[in-house]
Order: sequence, then C-alpha cells, then structure tokens
Amino acid sequence: MAPAPRIECDVLVVGGGMAGATAALAAREAGARVVMARKSPGSTGLSGGAVSVAQDPACMPDAPFAARSGVVESARRIAATRPGHPYGLLRDRLDRLWNAVEFATGQLSSVLAPPTGRNRWLLTPFGHAHPAAACQRTMAAGDLAEVRGTLVVCGFEGHLGWDPGLVASGAVRVEPLGGPRPRAVLLDLFRWEEGAVGTPFDLARLLEAPGAAEEAGKILKRILARGDAAAVLPPVLGIDPAARVPERMSAEAGIPVAEFLSDLPSVPGLRMHRAIEARLAAAGVEVLGGEVRSGAGPDLPAAVGGREVVARSWVLASGRFVGGGIERRGELRESVLGLPVQASEGPFADPSIRFAARAAATLTQADSRAPQALLAAGLRVDGELHPLDAEGRVVHPRVFAAGAVVGGHDPASDGTGMGVAIFTGWLAGRAAAGRGA
Amino acid sequence: MAGPAHQGGYDVVVLGGGVNGAGVARDCAMRGLSVLLLEKRDLACGASGASSGMIHGGIRYMTSDRNVTALASRDAGYIRHIAPHLTFRIPFLLPFASQAEGSRLLDRVTWYATEVYVGTYDLFQPLKGGKPSVRLSADELYRVEPGLRPGLHGAVTLDEWGIDGQRLCLLNALSAADHGADVRTWTEATSLVREQGRVVAVRFRDAVTGEHGEARAGVVVNATGGWSPQFGRSNGFQVPMRPGKGVHLSLDRRHGNYGIICTAVDGRQMFLMPHEMESIIGTTDDDFFGDPDDLDATADEVAYLVDGAASLVPSVREARITRAWWGVRTTLFEYGVEEDDLSRDHRIYDHAGEGSAGLLSFVGGKLASYRAQSEELTDRVAAMLGKATLPCRTHEVPLPGGDEVPSPRELAARHGIAEPVAARIVFRHGSLAREVLRLVDEDPRLKLVLCRDEGILAAEVAWIARHERVRRLQDLRRRCRLALGGCGGLDCARPAAQIVARELDWDADRLRAELSDLLEAGWRERRAVLDGWQLAEEELLRAVHRGLGGL
Repeated sequence: MAPAPRIECDVLVVGGGMAGATAALAAREAGARVVMARKSPGSTGLSGGAVSVAQDPACMPDAPFAARSGVVESARRIAATRPGHPYGLLRDRLDRLWNAVEFATGQLSSVLAPPTGRNRWLLTPFGHAHPAAACQRTMAAGDLAEVRGTLVVCGFEGHLGWDPGLVASGAVRVEPLGGPRPRAVLLDLFRWEEGAVGTPFDLARLLEAPGAAEEAGKILKRILARGDAAAVLPPVLGIDPAARVPERMSAEAGIPVAEFLSDLPSVPGLRMHRAIEARLAAAGVEVLGGEVRSGAGPDLPAAVGGREVVARSWVLASGRFVGGGIERRGELRESVLGLPVQASEGPFADPSIRFAARAAATLTQADSRAPQALLAAGLRVDGELHPLDAEGRVVHPRVFAAGAVVGGHDPASDGTGMGVAIFTGWLAGRAAAGRGA
Repeated sequence: MAGPAHQGGYDVVVLGGGVNGAGVARDCAMRGLSVLLLEKRDLACGASGASSGMIHGGIRYMTSDRNVTALASRDAGYIRHIAPHLTFRIPFLLPFASQAEGSRLLDRVTWYATEVYVGTYDLFQPLKGGKPSVRLSADELYRVEPGLRPGLHGAVTLDEWGIDGQRLCLLNALSAADHGADVRTWTEATSLVREQGRVVAVRFRDAVTGEHGEARAGVVVNATGGWSPQFGRSNGFQVPMRPGKGVHLSLDRRHGNYGIICTAVDGRQMFLMPHEMESIIGTTDDDFFGDPDDLDATADEVAYLVDGAASLVPSVREARITRAWWGVRTTLFEYGVEEDDLSRDHRIYDHAGEGSAGLLSFVGGKLASYRAQSEELTDRVAAMLGKATLPCRTHEVPLPGGDEVPSPRELAARHGIAEPVAARIVFRHGSLAREVLRLVDEDPRLKLVLCRDEGILAAEVAWIARHERVRRLQDLRRRCRLALGGCGGLDCARPAAQIVARELDWDADRLRAELSDLLEAGWRERRAVLDGWQLAEEELLRAVHRGLGGL
C-alpha cells in the first residue's frame, strides 16, 4: 500500500480541547489551511458545562450578584494582581478578550448559550455556586442571578448519585446576594433496577428515549407549587442536544428546566466534545488522530497518526497534565517539542528560579487551598504567545502556545481555565494564520 | 461522660485506639471488666493503620529477637483463626544475585546462610499456617516473576500473611463494644486526675461535640503509641521510647503477584509486595523526634523506597505511585544503636514509682502479636485490680464476621451484584457480608458501585455508617478504603459522603466540611508523589473538588 501523501498546511494545531479548537477555528476563519493533531479527548471533554473566564478577585464575598463587575473587568483585575497569570502577560490586549469569548461561544453555539458579559451563577453537585461567563444551553435557565422566586432543586428518588439538599445548599448560601429561594425535592424517576445503578450516561440515554422526557416533565409538574420559577436537575438531560430533553421536560412542566454543573463522569463534557468535533468538521479543519511524534517544529515534517504533516506555523494547545502537554517524569517538561517548563505562580513566578527539576513536595504547599506551584506549571511565553527557551529567547517566530500548556495559572481550580484557553487560542490561531490581533 | 452503667467509673480506661488499645479493651471486656476506650482521632489512625499490613513472623528479627518471631508466628495463627476473612497469603521471593555478576565466596556463603535462615524460619510456619520455603532456580524464578531484573541466580520463597490492619483494629474495638465496653473515638484524654500518688480518673474532650467529661478508673492503660512521650510529658510521667518514622508507598495496582524482598541503598532489607488491590513499597525506619500529628513524607524518603524496589524490579520506576503514607513505631528505648537493630519486643511500664500508681504504659511490639500483648496487659490489669476475671479467650472467639467466610460467587448471584465487588465485601466483613448485602434487597439503589478501584458498594457505605462507629467521613478511609485507591475519591467521595450524611443526619454544611476534611487527608499523602499520570489525576481531583466544589 502506498504511504498516504504528505499534508502541507498553513497551521498545525496540536491539541483538540477548547484552546486548540478556538485556535483552529480562528485560523480557519482567517483563511488558513489548518490541520489539527489530537491524540484523545483531553480535559475539555471532561469539563462540567461551565465556561469560566474570570471572577472578580476584589469583590467581597457578600456583594450582591448585581453589584459585581463584568467578566472583562474581572479579568483586568486578575491581570493587575497576578503578574504571572496569562491575563497579566496579555494585559494590554484584554480589550479583545470579549471578542475571543464571543467568537468561541458563537462557533460552539450548538451547545453554548450566548454570553451576557457578566457571570452566570450556576449550582454544582457539591452545593456551591460557580461563576461562569458562558455555559451550556441546558444550564442557562438555572442562573441564580436571574431566577426570581423559588428554584426547585431536583434529585432522583431512584438514584443516589445526587443529593438535592446538598446541591440546594449552594443556593441557600447566596440567597441573601439576590439569589432565588431553593427548594430541594426528589423526582420519582429511575426507580427500577436499570435506573438505580446507571452511570450518568445511562441516565441521559434513558431520558432521550421517546416519551421519557415528557414523562419526567409530568412528574416534575406534579410536585410544583406556587412561586416555583425554575427547576434544576442533575446534569443528565440527554447527551445529544437534538434530543431536546430539557425543552421537552419544560413544555410538560410549564417552567424552565435546566441542569446544574457536572463533576465526573460528565455528560456535558461529552456533549461539548462532540460539539467541538462537529464544528471542526464543518469548518474544514482536518483532524488527525494520534500523538505528534518526531515533530521538530514549523517547516519540518511531523509524524501524526501515520501521516506526515508540514506546517508553516504551529500552535501548541496540548493542555496541561490531563491533556499531556506538560508531563513530569522526575522532572517537568513540555512533551511535544521538549521545551523547558519555567512558568508558574507564587514563589516560582520569577523565571530565574529553575523549578522544573525540584521535588514534587517542594513545589506544593500543605494546605491544598493555597496556590500550588506544581499545578500552575507550564510554558513561559512572551506577549505574542511565543514559547520561550531557558534563556528567555523566542523558540521559533512561528510557534505559538495556547491554553493550559501555558503556565502561570492553575486551570483546574482558579476559575480562569476556559477563559485563558479561549483568549490565548484565539490570539494564537490568528497569529499563526498571519493575522495579528 | 460515663455511660449510666458506669456512674461509679470503670475498672479500666484505655487511652489510644490503635491495635494494642483496642486489643486490650476487647480482652478486658471479654473477661468481665468494665472498660472505657478513648481515642483522640479514629481507630487505627497511628502506627496500627500505617503498618505494612502483614501478620508476619518477622523473619528480620529472628537472629536478634527470636522470641519476637515465635510469639508473632503463633499469634499470626490465632489471628487467622479469629479473622480468617481479613487475611490473605503473600508468597515472598528472596532473590540472589548470579555468579555471572562476579559473586564471590562471600556471596555464596550468604546464599547458603539465607537458605539455612529461611529454613529455620520454616520451623515457625506451622504456628501461623504458612507453607514451607522452596528454593527456586533462575528459570523458575523468572517464570513466576518475569519483572525481575536480569542476571539473578535464583531465590528462596517464604510465606507470609497479609491483613487489613485498620479493620483488624476496628474489629477489636467493635468486639470490645459488643462485650460492653464504651468506645469513644474522636475523644481526647486531656489530663489525668491524681489522688495521693494514684491516677484515679481521666479527663477528656470530645472533638466532634466539644463536650468535656471525666471518667474514674481503677487502672489506666496508656496505649497511645507514638503520642506516649508527649502525653507523658504533659501529665507528669515518662515513657522511654525510640519513636521511629516509617513511610510506605502505594502503587495504583498490583505490580506482580509475589512479594519481593530487596536491599535498599544503605543495605537495609525492604520489600515490594502486592496487597489487596494495590502494591506497597516499604519501609523506611528513621528516628523521629517531632510531633506525630505533624508528619509528612519527604522527597528523599520517596526516592529511597523507589530506588530500593527498582534495584530488583526496574519497572517500578514507571509505575504510578498513588500515595505516600506514614506512621510512628514505638520501638523500645536503647541508646547508641541503629534504628534497624532496635528490638521489636514490647514492654509494659508501671508508673507507680513516678507518683502515678494505677497507670500502665505499653511500648513496642508488633501488629502480629497484638493479641498476646493485649493478653499480657490484661493479666497485669486484672492483677492490679485484684479482681477475679474470666479466662482469656481472645485467641479462640472470632472477631465480628470472623466465624465464617461466605462464598463471594454465591452472594453475588443471590443479590445481583458483580462478583469482584462481593469479594471485596466478604474480605472486609466476613460473615457479616450477608447483612451488608441484605440492604440491597431492601433498597436496590444501594447496588450502586461508588468506587471501581476498591469495589465499594453504596450498601457497604450505608452499613458501615450504621454499624461501625463512624463519627467523621474520614473514618471510612479506614473502614473501606474510601478515596484511598487510584482515583483518590474522584468518583466516590461525594456520593459516599451523601450516603453517610443521610445515615448520620448531617446537614449540608457538615457534609461539605467532612468532605473537605477527607480530601485534605488525601492531598497530604499525594503531595510527595505527584509525578507522571498521578499528576494528571491530581489535576482532575483539583478541578472537581476545588474548582467545581469550592472545597
């Protein structure tokens, strides 16, 4: 069999999460021929349905929702207080942050609701109210800053996976800030063997079946009382948005129905992953499955899943530890080009401190709530998102980095992970395609 | 606060819920004495819960402490009898380097001596129901354990028993309570009350409710292990001891089916062994002068253990290490001796000469000998009380669930659950597995498998919350290994917490606080081993618990 022909393209994007997808789509929009190399679903495919961009760090915890600053203003405040954070590095370009968010959410509008410019406050299974600049369409109606009256927080009579009392406690805590009054209820659903032991994916499929969502809506309607303004349910309201599970439930119940955010395993994560795949295909991005091996950078052939790719520009959007862009085998390194890992936060924000070879215990603090340098480790980049080598020089003028592979922030927990992915992905994709921001 | 039956106080107040404290509480209670057990945290929170999980004879101590080996071997046999469900065979390999590697006369003498040594250990095997040792050729050795480094000459085998040391400790406390003892976990003895040179009462504080109390005691047994020196200092008596810190590493899966005895960089003997669903590398032994409440594994301890295991099993370097965990052993005091050469024997100190008549301290000993140690202590207690008691029967009366080991296959078929999950429940609960699984017949929701790593069923969590003296969520780390497996609680911590909260009537704030406490304990054990894919796991845990949970 003849080997598959070499692919020549303008931009090779390594990684298919939110950062890589945004970069690929932005480069595509700028007219570039784009190839994406992706080995497997990364952390975006495990995300819980929120697109967290920035939460106002200066805001008092008891400030009402309405008094809090908008998403971009919040990002500016983060940039001012955390110089090692990508927003700090890109502070002069933050006026474009919202363009990037609108671009990415517009591209993924099949699953994402249009953002409003301020954070939505969404409940989580842990009883926490989580701010998100954008969220999945299935979740928007559960925004605590919008619902007036009583919010019905539902669990399932037949399944122990979610405790509506715990979930509702997140709303109790923010009720004085302008949130709705929560009421925890159990819906009489899944009370048979198959439902009782199902995974979230099983439950989502059960609800997609003809008549199932309508039946669920009727069960919800039976327990509604005066003043109930909206209902939130566990994040299992169908995998496929085309199944319209929340809409069908809502039509029967007569009030808006939404999901709360998901932990793992995550139905919304799978939904997001599929939406990204569909959008990339529709936009004409060629996606190759496989790791990038023997990749030496732009203009040189890289082996991807049995194909050879030569690209004029590269965007590294390979993620952090879950994605595999940064790895540690006794020492931290970037896994595609072998670049040095030298950006972090806290005491290691100073690039002159070489921390990549230090023991794990010295890069962490005993209090898990404290900033953890090890979890914020990644590439150091300049203001154009070029990765820097150990001497602080640009590695290559046409190599860019985006998303969690860029260090200086803790994408898992600091509430800016998706925002950084979108903003850096958008900037890097346009730059790689030859268009400045 | 004494129970109504003990308004006049207790015959014995036992301080410390490790295996010796729980063991002596059980023995005293079974002999008819009234007992109060106070433990400042949970049962098995100290050295008993951080042991290597073996009821071995301690071949290591055979030349120096042969009575330790004999005692431990005999008692290992008794433990196999009273808790058969909780033990499992671990065949160990003790490999030799090959002649091709330039072995000298000395090495060959060493092999010969090793065979004689292990042969001598065989004399103890009938005591604990182990199999005799076998000499393996190089071919046979590589057939049973292909992961060993090349160039080995052969090995001798030796047979040991593994055990869930935390549940052993728990079962002793539960049995003590069944025999009338008051068992109070998360209740710290704050001070001793003296009258005329006698310790007559113990003051305590309940850490969960904040309540204070005082219990009068005929005899006080101090079995606080590594906390003894500190407790003695603040209460006017001295407990001579050489506390030693011991660290173990857990791998995410069984890294082979045999225990491998290896040599560390400093010549110390150490091991890599399969244990329940994971493999364990152990153990360090270093003098420890700090506060046992403030321990952490250090980077050099982790490197020492990995290097030692990799000297014989190189692939250990690629393995995912999920936890580093630690404890303080309470070796007998001796000055000018290396840690390894300290005796593993035990001693009972009577503090009458320090103005504390009626107070005994227990120091040293081994997990495998806890029962004999407890018997000896109980004899002393009974003599001090001058009371006629029933004879000791702790070697023949089964621990809770130890009367029979049901077939996991039958239970799985009867209750419609997966057989591996049933096997885990039988392992942890013995004959009581039937009671645990009866819950799923009443409530099919409890068939939900919460943790795939450890095979934790929702029903087991509910049963433990109802029957195993759970006061805090983290107690389930020691009852059913909640959040200890490779997932670190990613899938199971929240749903398990919800079930416990429902059983114990916790509100949402309490639930969140308990969850946070459980997760913090996991983080402390992972900090020193964040490498490779474990770092990816940490990123997920952090995203879910910190990012999404706000915990």
